[in-house]
Amino acid sequence: MRIGILSFAHLHAEGYVQNLRRISGVEVIGFSDTDPERGRRFSQAYGLRWFWTHEDLLAEHPDAVIVTSENARHRELVELAVRSGAHVLCEKPIATRTEDALAMKAAVEAAGVSFMTAFPMRFSPAVEAARAMVAEGALGRVLAVVGVNHSENPKRHRAWFAEKALAGGGATIDHTVHLADLYRWIFGVEVAEVTAEISNPFDPEVDVDTAGLLLLKLENGVPASIDASWSRPPSYPRWGHLKMEIVGEKGTLVLDAFAGHLHVWRRGQERAYEWLGFHPDPNQGMLEAFVDSVRNGTPPPVSWRDGYEALRVVLAAYRSAERHAPVAPGDL
Amino acid sequence: MRIGIVGVGTMGRVHAEAYRRIGAELVGAYDPNPEKLAEFVARFTVDPFRSYEELLLRVDLVDVTAPTFAHEELAVRALEAGKDVILEKPLALDAASGRRILEAARASGRRLFVAMVVRFFPQYRRAAELARSGQLGRVGVVRLKRVLFPPGPGWYRDPEKSGGMPVDLMIHDLDYVRWLLGDPARVFARRSPPVEGEVLEHVQAVLGYADGRMAIVEGGWAYPSGYFRTALDLAGDRGLAEWSSDQPPPLGTLFPKDEPAPEVGLPMAGLEEDPYELELRHALEALERGKPFDVTPEDALAALELALAVRDSARTGRVVEVA
Repeated sequence: MRIGILSFAHLHAEGYVQNLRRISGVEVIGFSDTDPERGRRFSQAYGLRWFWTHEDLLAEHPDAVIVTSENARHRELVELAVRSGAHVLCEKPIATRTEDALAMKAAVEAAGVSFMTAFPMRFSPAVEAARAMVAEGALGRVLAVVGVNHSENPKRHRAWFAEKALAGGGATIDHTVHLADLYRWIFGVEVAEVTAEISNPFDPEVDVDTAGLLLLKLENGVPASIDASWSRPPSYPRWGHLKMEIVGEKGTLVLDAFAGHLHVWRRGQERAYEWLGFHPDPNQGMLEAFVDSVRNGTPPPVSWRDGYEALRVVLAAYRSAERHAPVAPGDL
Repeated sequence: MRIGIVGVGTMGRVHAEAYRRIGAELVGAYDPNPEKLAEFVARFTVDPFRSYEELLLRVDLVDVTAPTFAHEELAVRALEAGKDVILEKPLALDAASGRRILEAARASGRRLFVAMVVRFFPQYRRAAELARSGQLGRVGVVRLKRVLFPPGPGWYRDPEKSGGMPVDLMIHDLDYVRWLLGDPARVFARRSPPVEGEVLEHVQAVLGYADGRMAIVEGGWAYPSGYFRTALDLAGDRGLAEWSSDQPPPLGTLFPKDEPAPEVGLPMAGLEEDPYELELRHALEALERGKPFDVTPEDALAALELALAVRDSARTGRVVEVA
């Protein structure tokens, strides 16, 4: 199977290249990027063919593409890709506005290709086990969920993450979708209501939010929080973490998806002390599942709808923070 | 300074043990339950008082460790009798009752210390000092956790008598947030769905400040027997401080987990820095030397009001403006 990468704007593109190369029968045909500096740099770093334009890459007729552009440019690239007949794996959040997400859906359906939203945490073995425990009723009635998806400010890796026009917002749009999706997936219900505090307490140089605290009410009545803040300093031992506690009537589940790590110290680096993970990379499982679904012509394990509902939770959070009142994602 | 304890339940015992360790002059105790009182005075070799009146005649300082619903009556009577008062948290069941206690203290000219013990836990104190010193920069997001197993049979389980979980338990962390960040502009809380016949309760509250700072406080009587977890996470624009009770203590023990849990769980602190000891030592020293308390009666009232706002928001699902 031949796979192309549309844009190296998103950090994750680098990891995806390495994940794809570990899958037998997959050929990475190269990547397109209109930024010459980025094109040259990553072409050299990964020994990849660099296409100046997305059209040039698509002219090679890849079976599938991964869209890893800036959030606000997903729609444009997805529309281009599906017109050429390529199946799509789209980075999260799938868009910054509902109208873009809806247009992507229409384009995908018209082209008759498949579309998968990149929610890698569903492929974390710890998350899968947690979901199974909830499904088996091991915790009894669920009382509450506490979610934390902290990170450092990603702008030092890619400036656009902290530019509203390209990212659609800051920490809240960047992080909320992961846990919102896991809550939907684990409990099999939608988010009924979102109440949020969102602000920028950490970086006066950017015009986006660097902190977001959300309290959700799920349709099954379970309250669930999300801390989406970019509140870890650059010297934190890892980019951040994804944690979730599910408090149940019979027992409580404490999940720290990246807990398995070595403690590593290195001289002369900003991250002098690092937590170096040794568990399977969830991105690997996600890409294998994507490749399988394209190969077998089966529906992707994470759908457009999953990406859309998570986006609506984000947009509800921003609206709630403006109004200081609960907002229903379904109203957006 | 002769000290008398009224109320010999869990907190009465904890305070008595701390007084003994710091060598304070605990002279006696009163409790309406004669068996519990007899057991207490035998254990601490102090005098049993036959009535609260007798206690008030025999001591200089009254330590009220009775259940919350009795706080107002006991504290006001002690103050009116010209005694200084140490009062276990929460101050009272509602704000009006709390204000009456504060008014009694003002009118009597005596001093009132409300025992908000979390401010005396070494890790919470150290983290607050770190934040105050500016080493974290401006603290923008605070996370606090305090979740344990539900209380056993008794008055804690009755919200009419204890105020319920937010007023009895979350008040610790709400007070701590106020200590760090001051008064929030608004509060929003979500609580767990009720479980028939159980006191299981879990609440998450988000506090928003007018200048964009924020905090999330998690509290619960929701874990299986024997589990008690607390955590703090103070994120500033120049640094970060984290602590969790999941970290190993200086001394670890491994015992069977299926042993019966105590009536109310108390978190383990450092071995030589018992927070109750630090708290009561501070109160006695402040009384003896006429120095200010680290927790003012107004702090205790504000923390209670915040806990009541959390309870209201959890009930109605609405954002409560508190400023």
